[in-house]
Parts: sequence; C-alpha cells; structure tokens
Amino acid sequence: MSLLEVRDLRVHFESRDLYNQRRVASALNGVTFALDKGEILGLVGESGAGKSLTTLALLGLLRPPARIVGGSARFDGQELVGMPPAALNRIRGTELTMVVQSPRTSLDPLARIGDQLVRMQRRRGPVDKAEAMRRAQAMLEEVGIPDAARRLQAWPHQLSGGMAQRVLMALALVNRPRLLIADEPTTGLDVTVQAQVLDTLRALVQGRGMAALMITHDLGVIAHYCTRVAVMFAGTIVEQGTVTEVFRNPAHPYTRALLASTPRRIAQSGYRITGGAPPNLYALPTGCPYQDRCPQRAAICATPPPAAEAGGSHRAWCHFAVPRPETVDA
Amino acid sequence: MLKTASTFALRRVLISIPVLLGILFVTFMLVRIGQQDPAAMIAGPIADPGILTQVRKDLGLDQPIWVQFGAYLMRLLQGDLGRSWQDGTPVLHHLLSHLPITLELVLPALALAFLLGVPIGLQAALRPNGLFDQVSRGIALFGFSVPTYWLGLMAIFVFFYSLGWAPAPMGLLSMELVAPDPITGFPTLDALLAGDWKAAASSIGHLALPVLCLTLAAGGPVIKQARAIAIEILGMDHILYARAAGFSTRRIQRMVLRGALVPLVTFAGVELVSLFATGSLVEYVFARGGLGHWGLNAIMQSDFAAVQGYVLALAVCSVVVFLVVDLCTLLLEPRG
Amino acid sequence: MSAHIAPHSLPVTARPPRSALLLGIARRSPTFAAGLLIVLAFALAAILAPWLAPHDPVQSFPDKVLLPPQSDFPLGTDGNGMDLASRLIFGSRYAFAILLPVGLLSLAVGLPLGLLAGYRGGWVDEVLMRAADVLRAFPTIILALAVVAAAGPSLINVVIVVGLLDSPIFMRLVRAEVLALRRAPFVVAARAQGCSTARIILVHILPNAILGATAQLPIRMAWAVRISATLAFIGVGIQAPAPEWGAMIRQGAEYVISGEWWVATFPGFTLILLVIGLNLLGDGVQDLLDPRRRASGK
Repeated sequence: MSLLEVRDLRVHFESRDLYNQRRVASALNGVTFALDKGEILGLVGESGAGKSLTTLALLGLLRPPARIVGGSARFDGQELVGMPPAALNRIRGTELTMVVQSPRTSLDPLARIGDQLVRMQRRRGPVDKAEAMRRAQAMLEEVGIPDAARRLQAWPHQLSGGMAQRVLMALALVNRPRLLIADEPTTGLDVTVQAQVLDTLRALVQGRGMAALMITHDLGVIAHYCTRVAVMFAGTIVEQGTVTEVFRNPAHPYTRALLASTPRRIAQSGYRITGGAPPNLYALPTGCPYQDRCPQRAAICATPPPAAEAGGSHRAWCHFAVPRPETVDA
Repeated sequence: MLKTASTFALRRVLISIPVLLGILFVTFMLVRIGQQDPAAMIAGPIADPGILTQVRKDLGLDQPIWVQFGAYLMRLLQGDLGRSWQDGTPVLHHLLSHLPITLELVLPALALAFLLGVPIGLQAALRPNGLFDQVSRGIALFGFSVPTYWLGLMAIFVFFYSLGWAPAPMGLLSMELVAPDPITGFPTLDALLAGDWKAAASSIGHLALPVLCLTLAAGGPVIKQARAIAIEILGMDHILYARAAGFSTRRIQRMVLRGALVPLVTFAGVELVSLFATGSLVEYVFARGGLGHWGLNAIMQSDFAAVQGYVLALAVCSVVVFLVVDLCTLLLEPRG
Repeated sequence: MSAHIAPHSLPVTARPPRSALLLGIARRSPTFAAGLLIVLAFALAAILAPWLAPHDPVQSFPDKVLLPPQSDFPLGTDGNGMDLASRLIFGSRYAFAILLPVGLLSLAVGLPLGLLAGYRGGWVDEVLMRAADVLRAFPTIILALAVVAAAGPSLINVVIVVGLLDSPIFMRLVRAEVLALRRAPFVVAARAQGCSTARIILVHILPNAILGATAQLPIRMAWAVRISATLAFIGVGIQAPAPEWGAMIRQGAEYVISGEWWVATFPGFTLILLVIGLNLLGDGVQDLLDPRRRASGK
C-alpha cells in the first residue's frame, strides 16, 4: 500500500454568470497518482493545469465555489475525501505538512520565528516551552539557517526570501511529518539559493524516510531532485513514471512538447511551437483534453485515452503512446 | 528600527502643525461668512450707528482680515477664547466645565460599541453570508442609517412615557436631588466619590438611555469595519498557511484579532471624534447640558465666540486623537 | 403542431433574455436589487407626489390637530393639523433635491482635485492633502451646522456646504485610485508608447477612477440625506412648515413626552428607509464591481 493514493479526484467550480446561467468549470478531471515512502514525486504542468488545486483538495482546503465532486485520496489508508474537518485538521501540520510558494507573506507577521516554531510543535499536544525552543533551534540549524539561536528572536519581515523559505521548511518538518507537500517552493528565489534550499529539502526527506510531493513548472528541478514525475494537463495526469523513464522516453505529445521547450532543447533543435491557449475548462472537449493542441490528433482522440503502459511504472494517457496497429473502431 | 520609528513619530507631529493652522483659520473665518454682524449682535438691535462703530473698533473688526487673524492667534496663545455674549462667561470656562459631562456619555458608548461590535464583526467574517452574518449586517445597517436623535426620541417615548422605566429626559439628575460638589466634574464619578449613592444611581439612570442610543449608532460602523478588516486578514497568505498547518479555529481567530488590532485602534480614533458630534445630538434630545448641548445652543443662538470655541475644541480634539492613535500603532507594529 | 419547428426557436447558443440578466444581477447581489428597489420607489414618490398624496402637504386643518392614524389621515396629523402621510410623500422631493446636487457637487469638486493630487504629486499633492486633513479634523455635522447657521438656512446653502464638506472623501478616493493606476502596467506601457499626460489621464485613468468613485456615490448620498435632516432637526436647515423629514421630526419631538408618538416616528422611519436603500445600493454596486468581493459571495 502506498503512503498516498489518489484515485480519480474531481473538482468543479460552480458559479452563475450575469444571466443567471449555471457555469461549471471542470478544474480537476480524474487525477490519479500514488506516492511511496522515500519518494519525491514531481508534479509538473503549465499554470492552470490544476497542480496547486490538487494539493488544496488533498488538504481539504478548497473554498466555495470549488468543491470535490468525486474520487478518493487515501493517506496511509485513511480516506481524506469527506473526512470530518476536525479529523482532517489533526492530520494537517502533523502528518501531512506544506511548504508554500510565498514564504515571506505566509509567516505570521506578528509573531517571532521561535514562537511560530513552538506554536507549530504544540499542534502535537502540550510541550514544555524551553524544550520546544531547543527543538526549534535544532530544526533551524538542520534547514541550514546560520546563527539559529539569534534567528529565533527575529520577526518575519527581517528575513530574506531564502531565509523565510528555510523557516517555512523548518515549520513543515519540525513535527516529523510523513508527507511533505512543497508548492513551488523556490519561485522568487535566486538560482543559487534555489539549489541550496532544494538540496536541504531532498537531504531531509530522504534522511528521515518520509515522502514529498513537489509542485513546480521547472523541469530542471524535477530532473535533479525528484525520483518520479507526473505531468498534468487540464486537470488530468497525462503521463507519469520515474524521472528517467519519462525524461528519456516521453510518451505523451504534451510531455514531449514540454521537454522540447527547455532552453537547452530549443538551442539544440531550433524553435518548436509547443504553446497554445490553455483549454477552456468550461467546455472541455470529450476524450483527450490535449487534442486541440496536439500535432498527432486523429478521430480516435474524441474517445477517452487509455492508460498506456510504456514499460515499468511508466504510463501515458494517449491513444498513440505506444505504437500499435491502426484502430478502425473509431 | 527604533530610529526609524522616532523619525516617523517626529514627522507625524510636524505634519500636525500646518493642519492646526488651517483649523484655526477655518474657525476664524467661521464668524466672518455670516450675514449677521457680530457687532450688531452685541450692541443690540436698537443701538445707534455711533455705538456700532465703537463696538466694531473694540472688536477690531475695522482692521484688515490678516491683522484680525493675527490678533485671534495671539489671544488664543494667551488662552483667551473670548466670552459668550449670552452670559458673559469666558468660553474656555464653558468648554472645560461641560467636557466631563460629554465624556461620561461618549466614552462608555465607545467602549460598549467596540466590546459588542468587534466580536460580532469577527464572528460574521468567519462565515460570510451565513445566518449570523446576515443578521449582524442587518443590525449594522440599521445602526448606520438610524438618526441618533430620532432613536433618542423613540427611546424616550417607549421607556419614559409608555413604560415609565426611565427618568424624565432632562438634566443629569432627578430634580429633587442635589448634585454633590464637583471634584472631577464627571457627575456620576463625583456622586460616587461623595458616597452619595442615591445621586449616583439617579445619575446612572439618566445616563442609561443616551448611552444605549449612542452605542447602537456607533456599533453599526464598528461591526461593518471589524467584519471588513477580518475578511481581509482571513484572505491573507499567513492565515491560509495556518489553515494548511491545521491550527485550530480559536488560534486562527486570535491571529485575526491580533492583526485587526492596529486598524481597529485607528478606527476607534475616528469613531471617538465622530461620537463627539453625534453625542451632541443625543445630549440635545435628552437635555443633558454637556459640551455638545451647549455648543448646539451656541450655534442656534449665533453666540459667535462660543461657536468658534466649540468648533475649535472639537477640531483640536480630533487632531490630538489622530496623533495619539498613529503613535499607538507605531508601538503595536513590530516592523515600526 | 409537430409539422413546423422554426429553426430560430431551437435553443442553440441564443443569448438569454434581458429578464434573465436582471435576475442574474439580483441573484449575485440581492443587496443591490433591494437597494435599487427602495431608491426607485422613493424617486417615484417624489415624481408622483401630487397624485399620490391624499392632501396638500402644507394645508392646515385647524380642527384636526394631532389626530392619531385613521382612515382620513393614514399616518395621523401633526401639531398644525397637517396630514403626515402627504408631508412624508412630498418630503421625498426634498430628499432628492439634496442628494442629487450634493452628490454631483462633491464629485465635481473631489474628482478633479483627486486626479490633480494623484497625478501631479509633489507639493500640489501635499497642499491638497493637508487641506483635506484640515476639513477631516472637523466633525462634519458640527461644521455644517455652524456654517449653515452663519450663512443662513436655505436649501441652496445646505447643498453647497454639505457638498463641499463631503468632497475631500472623493478626492482621497480618486487620488488613491490614481496612485495605484499610475504604477499599473497598462499605464506604464501607455507612457512608454509616448502617450501624452492628458491622454493618459483622460483615456486610462479617468474611467477607472470614476468607476471607483461611483461605487461610493450612493453611500455619500445617504450621508447627505442624513446630514441635511440633522440640520433641519436642529433648526438651522430647511424650516418647517416645509415638509422636510428632519424638520418634521423636530416638530414631533415635543409631542413624544405627551404621547403623540406618530408625529416624530413616521418621518424617522421614512428617513431610515431611504438611507438604508441608498446604503444597500452602494454596497451592491461595490459587490458587483469588485471581483474579489464577488468571489467571496455565493
């Protein structure tokens, strides 16, 4: 059994327009993936593909008009979808923690760093303040913050972006969670700082035998720091597998387009058109969501693509993922 | 950090100076825009032109306007706000003796409005458009829209005329009681200090309806403001993060309250200043004879020096209140 | 009947009817709909007053003084034997005679000054803002009372004084809007393309600033109605026997302690209803304009 098993997760945004017509945006359309202990799974895709929404749905943090309309998410065997808010709240911040993309504004501006770390430890129950402070300092040292004892007294506005991101990591790890979700943890940081932060993150996750779900749109980050990757498009996972499998042999046309758009590939093979408007979530095409932008589009694409096995754990949801005889039934 | 805070404070104090001068000019001009001639007012309707010219000269009204303004400032510097022509008493004396009566009405109303309004507004913000929110918005809207003086009249009709629970809406004490000697100038406080329980009870009884009316009128804006502030804070990143970290609702409420403190203190300053104005209408309806009642009377009687002194006192009050509030927020904000 | 189906009657992607638009707006902001309904009702009452009112608003029936509500005088009569209902209906004319010109005046003064302060900045901004600070220091009601009392009680004086005293609010609002817009990418882009200052203000900043200010207009109008009624209540605004609501409450004040409650009560209710209507309208406009507020709704 995997630590986290997400199956066919669906999220809709329901609203009404000025003409009082009901509008439904299908933001997540059956997201399926699994994550094991010791793994770092990278979730990649363009903006609006539903990466962050997936994590919000997992944590039960969706607010109206968004809501889960179907599917399941099992964390360590417990069903998260439909779990009572109080029970879910006990898991959040203790077993399942999060590092977000805006570190400086996500820290409580009116509390010192040390106090925030103590507060977080109290999520697990009463702790002696001095003991909690000692652990807080140790945690700050672990995430690579110099002069940790002094930093305990600092206010969030006195920290640089990279420091704030490390503090956020310390907050996420201080309760020794089993799963860490990192939502674009390095956007807005300098490239060198980015690498340091991610190195620390990887070392801690692997050293503690936990798992991590990392959301990013940076393929370089995935290639360096993740063990497995899932590619998202229009609210579905279109391809997943180990990083080596997917990067060596991309089986879905969207993944190929994505890989071809990294600067090095563009330099190697000339400019390739990969973009196009993101699909209209209010009116998704039936069948494959990528068909409107796909160079290989055919009649069969109007039917839902199967999960094609491409060797090992490698799967791609495309009719043409694996070369096979011409189908005539479409 | 301390240095930037003190420079900010200094700058804030310096900014008040031109504002204060502007206020003085406005109050100075107040008696000059009128169609009535102060000299004629003082000399009386049957004075002959000779006396009128003499009075005008005594008042300095024949001088150019900036000379008059200068003279006005000089007199103010010496603490001379002029005399009320109705009773010949110095305006400053009136202001100081009436102020405690007004404070005794305004301060409890302000405190009650915040003690009730802030929790209601915060609670409403937790579930926007829920039942609690709808009801509290209704109350706030009513408090916003109801004229205080009319509310006072209705309260008098219900609680004095119909039910007979409230004392007659006149003065600070029942007629048959003798007010204890003033020590602080606050009627209820003086009665308590003198150990005169009967007078204290009567004083509080006379205070109840006016304070309630003012509380409702002041509470509307407080609810609306607290709700708006809380909704804004609830949408901030650190609150979303706190939710993702599984913090309890109580903890999140405390974070919101702490974050709302600075904007609420600022708003309390604004409310205090506006309560001096609305409070005067309540004083008028309940014939309490406080600063506001006295000021409205002066306006109705065209008692120029008194009007000038009253308006000036209110404006200076608000400058001081805004200044104090801004300095308080400096202390409350960690970033200084 | 199945023989003919006109092609245009098929529910293709036809635009829903206009009534659906109204319904949609009402659903998105019931506040707006309720406010609009109330304000329109008062506007109708003001326009149709001579036909709606059962009596002349200033006609005195000397033998019908202080009558409680009854069939002939649905809301009773006042101390002069005048019909309260008729006076209330005609009173809405005073309300609109105050709120429309006051709104226009404060907008006409505040908008250009706000644009100037926000766009020019520097000492112009400093002077204008300090002037606004000066006016803000005075409680509006008291200053309005003092000025109108000195200048003489008349409708036009009330309008000018209240309108001018309220204009700093629009000035601040527009200034803040301009400051935000000045750094907005689309304005920076316009400047980079060599657009003139006048063009940037007129084409890019003004419409946005006006939109922001308009949302505030009904709330300021509610304020104007309240303040003019207060002036009349104190006796320095519009004077009785003119059927102005505040003046009517003043007339009724003395009867409250002798039990003739209706004289003061009904003008108060009427005033509150219009003020609530305008406030709802203002809140509703903001709900509809501000996508953030809209999203937080249902």
